[in-house]
Amino acid sequence: MSELLGVFLAIALLLYILFGGADYGAGILEIFKGKKLREQQSELITKAIGPVWEANHMWLILMLVILFVGFPSVYHSLSTSLHIPVIMVLAGVVMRGSAFTFRHYDAIKDSSQKVYSFFFSLSSVWTSVWLGITAASLHRGLIKEGSQVYFEQYVAPWFGLYPLAFGLFVSSLFTFLSSVFLIGETQAPSLRSIFQRRAFYSNISTVALGALVFLSAELEGNHFARSFFESPASLVSLTLATVLLFALWHFIKTGSNNRLRIVAVAQTSLIIIGWLSAFYPNLVVTSTRAYTFTELAAPPAVLKQILIALIVGLILILPSLFYLFHVFKKETFRRKN
Amino acid sequence: MEHLLAARTIMGLSLGFHILFAAVGMTMPFFMATSHFLYLRSGNKEDLILTRMWSKGVAILFAVGAVSGTVLSFELGLLWPEFMKHAGPIIGMPFSWEGTAFFLEAIALGLFLYGWDKMHKWVHWGSGLLVGLSGFASGIFILSANSWMNSPSGFEWVNGQAVNIDPVKAMFNEAWLHQTLHMQLAAFQAVGFAVAGIHALLLIRKHNIELNLRALKISLFFGAFASLLQPLSGHFAAQRVAELQPAKLAAMEAHFKTQKNAPIIIGGIPNVSEEKVDYAIEIPGVLSFLAFNDFDAEVKGLDQFPKEEWPAVTVTHFAFQIMVGIGTLMAGIGTLFFYLVWKKKLNSNAFLRTLILTSPLGFVAIEAGWIVTELGRQPWIIYGVMKTKDAVTKFPDLYFHGILFLSIYFILSLATAWLLYRQIKVANKIWEIP
Repeated sequence: MSELLGVFLAIALLLYILFGGADYGAGILEIFKGKKLREQQSELITKAIGPVWEANHMWLILMLVILFVGFPSVYHSLSTSLHIPVIMVLAGVVMRGSAFTFRHYDAIKDSSQKVYSFFFSLSSVWTSVWLGITAASLHRGLIKEGSQVYFEQYVAPWFGLYPLAFGLFVSSLFTFLSSVFLIGETQAPSLRSIFQRRAFYSNISTVALGALVFLSAELEGNHFARSFFESPASLVSLTLATVLLFALWHFIKTGSNNRLRIVAVAQTSLIIIGWLSAFYPNLVVTSTRAYTFTELAAPPAVLKQILIALIVGLILILPSLFYLFHVFKKETFRRKN
Repeated sequence: MEHLLAARTIMGLSLGFHILFAAVGMTMPFFMATSHFLYLRSGNKEDLILTRMWSKGVAILFAVGAVSGTVLSFELGLLWPEFMKHAGPIIGMPFSWEGTAFFLEAIALGLFLYGWDKMHKWVHWGSGLLVGLSGFASGIFILSANSWMNSPSGFEWVNGQAVNIDPVKAMFNEAWLHQTLHMQLAAFQAVGFAVAGIHALLLIRKHNIELNLRALKISLFFGAFASLLQPLSGHFAAQRVAELQPAKLAAMEAHFKTQKNAPIIIGGIPNVSEEKVDYAIEIPGVLSFLAFNDFDAEVKGLDQFPKEEWPAVTVTHFAFQIMVGIGTLMAGIGTLFFYLVWKKKLNSNAFLRTLILTSPLGFVAIEAGWIVTELGRQPWIIYGVMKTKDAVTKFPDLYFHGILFLSIYFILSLATAWLLYRQIKVANKIWEIP
């Protein structure tokens, strides 16, 4: 049962990265909006993510609930050893959600719009980098429960080149996903070509930062790169994702909305699968040992209840979510290019 | 400030901040659905404008509620890791249902806010109603988790570990019903009166009289109705607390000595060292009656508990009195409202002024009520099972954490107030009806 719950956790993670990620990326893209068509870009972003952003971030809440009910000790490590990066994420989440809503709903559109935009962009980068840092720290092997030394207990687990590289990788991935998403959200050729360019460059930077993640893992001597290359599933995923790059670049160039989205989603999923397979069946690696899914899971009676809640919950949520996207996004999927 | 107190302060302020927005998110959609329904049925333009006006306010307040709620779901673990480690699996069920309800609420809100002209009008109306229903449900689930802390059940505590966990029993614990009933009514009361107060202000200034009068009627209908039911739910809650948490009841009433024919204490200043209340009005027998329906029943006083297990008597007592006082006042105004509706004299200046003055009181009562619940449970985090001091994080830098979030909440409060002010200002100009 813990494995099944692990699958739910992985799916929630993937959906958060895809939907929430495209959302974070939109905030990051606003930094690079250059001189041309600034207003139109912001307008498009607000229109594209406005109806769905609250729902997109619910996947994070879902993951959190799965963690603290089903894997309470992981939640425990997150909140003790990773206290600092987690509050950084939270500060960003608060700033970001409020700035985005305030910008849209402020009844008077004056210079305050600039302030909201500034905080929206800043917190988009900030939060995504800290999310990556937090995720990387869980399996980095420096979590040291019960240490009396402040640095060792609260800073060392997340401090260093590897988590930072991972954080930057995550925000670059989000930017890439968002660019791909936004190409399909508009029919204006000038805007589309802007986001086509962004999609290409952010894809290149994601690949480069991905390489940096492996390199930094080797530099600081953590086992991530080795376990990745020793896992057949990870290797297969990485190879497939690499092959798909050519298809991706082709579709970015031709601007085929749906095909491009499918390839981008496939690639991202492969990356996540590869990443998770690298340390499966472990969920958390501390300085002393690795803990598997099964070891960290709550008692079976609890797992059964949360699985029931998840299944019933998803029966309610998925159709409504589908309807939400149907109402607001059907046009963007119908358009071929 | 001592470490435990710092953690409690951060938690208290985060909860106190979030609850304001959560109350709006749970109840305001019902006001909206009402005006929206009236518009769809009669085609009255003012009802449409009102629905749109309210929906903008809801969008702003909901977003702040959602992000501050996200913070809270992490903060439970950040500040009370030992609590969550043990409680997570036990009260996970209401939390997972709350997550589901909240997810639905976010979806429905997206549909409602952006779905004008994109959906069938009644489906669109339904999405607005779903915002309210799922918000209301998520409130119930969160209250169920909180009530478990007051009346823990569904597990056995053996050697510092929870075993034989029964999540269903934990969810429907003994305190579940009265807490839920009391808070959900309070939310309708507070939001109803607050919204009515704003529209009363606009009415006194003679802005859009027809529209604001309709708004006032809808919001105060909910608020007044809830304020009439609230004393009953309060009485029910007090009886449950007397049974489940006698120490809390004793602190609420500043009832030091166990006695039969126990008096109710009105006003006064608790004198904790001498275990009496100075300058209070005492009405004999009433507390016994309120708690156990019998003037001669024995009510346990604080003397039944070791002093280190006493809640903070003075604060709990004052907060309780404030809450009850405000509740009584609101029940009076609620009655007056129905009378004035019947007499068709709602637009009287004296009544409108009263509404303006009492507009924030419901929220004050909510905060006071939560102070009673939370401080009245101390020193326990899980009543009778785990002490708050044993649950607190070992993370030493709570100052940094606290100052960061206090500044964020402070700035957000100012920004939200400013945004709402601008909404109202612009609304008056755009929709000024000649």
